[in-house]
Amino acid sequence: MSAVSISGLVKSFGRFKALDGLDLGVEEGEVHGFLGPNGAGKSTTLRILLGLLRADAGTVKVLGADPWRDVVPLHRRMAYVPGDVSLWPSLTGGEAIDLLGRLRGGLDDKRCDELLEALELDPTKRGHTYSKGNRQKVAIIAALSSNAELLILDEPTSGLDPLMEATFREEIRWERSLGRSVLLSSHILAEVEALADRISIIRKGKVVETGSLEQMRSRARTNVSATIDGNAALLTTLPGIADLRIEGHRVHFSVDSENLGDAMSVLSHHGMSALTVSPPSLEDLFLQHYGDPSDLSVEHDDEQMAPSFFDRHGRRRAE
Amino acid sequence: MIQALTGTGPLLRHAIGLDFRKLLPWLLIFAVFPLIAFSAYPSLFPSQADAVVLQSTLSANPAFSLLFGPATDLSTAIGFTTWRIQMFGMFFAALMAILTVTRHTRATEDNGQAELLDSGVVGRHARLASALVLAWLASAAVGVLVAVTLAFAGAPPSSAYALGSMLTGTGFVFAGVAAVTAQLGSVARVANTLAATVLGISYLVRGLGDTFPGADWILWFSPMGWAERIRPSAENNPWPFLLLLVASIGLALWAAWLSSQRDFGLGLIPTRPGPARGRVGMWGLTAKLNRLPLWTWGVNLLILGSVFGLVTGALSSVFASNPFVKQMIAFRVATEEQLAYAFVEVLVLLLGIIGAVVGIQLALRFYAEEEERRSEWVLSAPLSRLSHVAPTVVVSVAAPAAGMILCSLALGIASNISGSPLDVWKVVLQGIAELPAIWLAVGFAVALVGWAPQLRSLAWLLLVYWLLLTFFGQVLKVPEWLMDTSPFHVVPHVFSDGTDWGAAWWSLVIAAALVAAGLDGYRRRDLVCT
Repeated sequence: MSAVSISGLVKSFGRFKALDGLDLGVEEGEVHGFLGPNGAGKSTTLRILLGLLRADAGTVKVLGADPWRDVVPLHRRMAYVPGDVSLWPSLTGGEAIDLLGRLRGGLDDKRCDELLEALELDPTKRGHTYSKGNRQKVAIIAALSSNAELLILDEPTSGLDPLMEATFREEIRWERSLGRSVLLSSHILAEVEALADRISIIRKGKVVETGSLEQMRSRARTNVSATIDGNAALLTTLPGIADLRIEGHRVHFSVDSENLGDAMSVLSHHGMSALTVSPPSLEDLFLQHYGDPSDLSVEHDDEQMAPSFFDRHGRRRAE
Repeated sequence: MIQALTGTGPLLRHAIGLDFRKLLPWLLIFAVFPLIAFSAYPSLFPSQADAVVLQSTLSANPAFSLLFGPATDLSTAIGFTTWRIQMFGMFFAALMAILTVTRHTRATEDNGQAELLDSGVVGRHARLASALVLAWLASAAVGVLVAVTLAFAGAPPSSAYALGSMLTGTGFVFAGVAAVTAQLGSVARVANTLAATVLGISYLVRGLGDTFPGADWILWFSPMGWAERIRPSAENNPWPFLLLLVASIGLALWAAWLSSQRDFGLGLIPTRPGPARGRVGMWGLTAKLNRLPLWTWGVNLLILGSVFGLVTGALSSVFASNPFVKQMIAFRVATEEQLAYAFVEVLVLLLGIIGAVVGIQLALRFYAEEEERRSEWVLSAPLSRLSHVAPTVVVSVAAPAAGMILCSLALGIASNISGSPLDVWKVVLQGIAELPAIWLAVGFAVALVGWAPQLRSLAWLLLVYWLLLTFFGQVLKVPEWLMDTSPFHVVPHVFSDGTDWGAAWWSLVIAAALVAAGLDGYRRRDLVCT
């Protein structure tokens, strides 16, 4: 049985279609990365899995049950970290953690203390005095000390500093070693790359690609740079070549896996003297689906995502 | 100083853009309501004698001066209009100013917008200044609207502008009060509560000044009392308005000084660390979140009930000396006791409206949790929608009930202490008789939260409609069927013989149906996720 299985999920808000026939499967015991910029429909999907929103069409099963109808028994078995945690101004962080624990009939106190220490959170501060990262920690601790079978994490590390991000990754690996299933939504590619067994990429309310990173790489284009002494014009006639750039004797391009062999033979016939072949990174995979930068900012949502994504990853890609 | 205000202009434009739609309904009410009262006057009082009758009736029941201020001059349409709108006008103008200032100062610090704005080219006091100027502009707009519409309708301009300046002046002062409380409270809710408490006290203090003969001097202790001294249509005295203006500026400067004494995002009333562990569940959480309103309303109702009771007792002697009352008693139109009960009934009715405010506020508070995305997190725990909302419903039904019993009991006891032998049990029963109407208002709020939370302000609108209808409908000769659309109009009269409880039972049934509908709606609808 899979932890989550969704097929043909549709959800609209007024005229805006947030999810448009989304399919997603999370196997038991795996960490599943759910990748896409804000506004692509990640949070909407997760909220449907939690029974906060009702699906317009499609079938959704969480741990074999209907998330809208079987809320209470289902939620005993799952825990959630929202994308933007908001705390009660008058309650301390510790009280908030215990509130969530009490609502679910008890927390693992030992695990809770461990996490408080590992994430260096002071639980005696009032809700409105925490920074964003610390609010995030409160929700992470509440979720991870609940012994839930399925963890649903919506951009859990936004606002955490790099040290805490590393600690968080260790904790997620620990959860996986206990056989827990994790659905990790994120737009931080490095995090997904480091943690996820399988990945689904969502775009405009649809999952456009799913599989392990290896599988995705084998399906995707390979980046090639080479030095040749002949004329590279022939390359332009080859099928499956993209992003071709010619700088004197240097050529750069990316090529489909089935045309890689042909491309190599063309290069070797033109006096190839240097060659770099790099497998596509997750960023490349992601950008192949989001090739048109305007896609990142079309949908309503957030101001932070689109620019930061391109600053960090777009520049690295160009290097 | 000038540098500290850099950026006030752009911030103000931004604030006006945000608030235009929020302020519009306030302004419309201010533009229309005085006009209705003004133009209804000739048909209500065809002859001078009719006005005299009203004046006499009013003097027979001091509850009216306590609640609505003195009727200095009912012989002219503008004098009548002044009497009708002065208290509610001042109260709502002040409320509007308070909410506006808090929304643009403390509330923006709470939700992080202030950080964004302050990082721009803005001086230290620019945000406070823009909020104050906005509230001042809104208050001025209220006054000008009232004055211009009345003057166009044929009122003497000097009286119309005097009435307008009364409302504007009150708005000015309470904008200043809110600017100060925004520095004191650590969150918007606390700041609003503090400012509203000042408003409540000043309303009460001026009530005492108006009710007791020769107690005019008490008016000096309340900003609303100062505004009253403008006495539109009777004196048209401009000096109190200047006093209000100066007070407002003084308060603004004080607020600016206070804000330079505190850190961004924190109040002068410090927040201390709390316990590392907690033991609250959904019920405990609901109780904790509502602790502040429950306490403040509880104390306010207790004070209000006691003051009303003391006034009742102290007035029995005033009663006896009033010539009109003497006449009524001599001709056996009414006994002294009946007059006292009529007085108390009006007071309890007002307490009932306040009870409904409490209930609506508590019910709508539930949606704030959803809006601030905390419900989303809480509902990820094994908790059905019904058990999520149930504590709120119970609190918003029970709290007004407890409040009504508390304040009517205080009223009854205090009146007995001060020498008016009212039947305490009957006073309490009159308080309880308001509950079906209160619960109807609460039920409507719950139904809105359950089905259409984006329309939740309709709950307030409905209450304002009921309030205006119940208190002013009869004087404006509104037809009976329209009067009956207010559950507060059909509240049983416990003090008269053969009390008819039928309408109360109907209110109760409708209230229960609305609550049930709200619960069902919340079970079915999507959570609002922002």
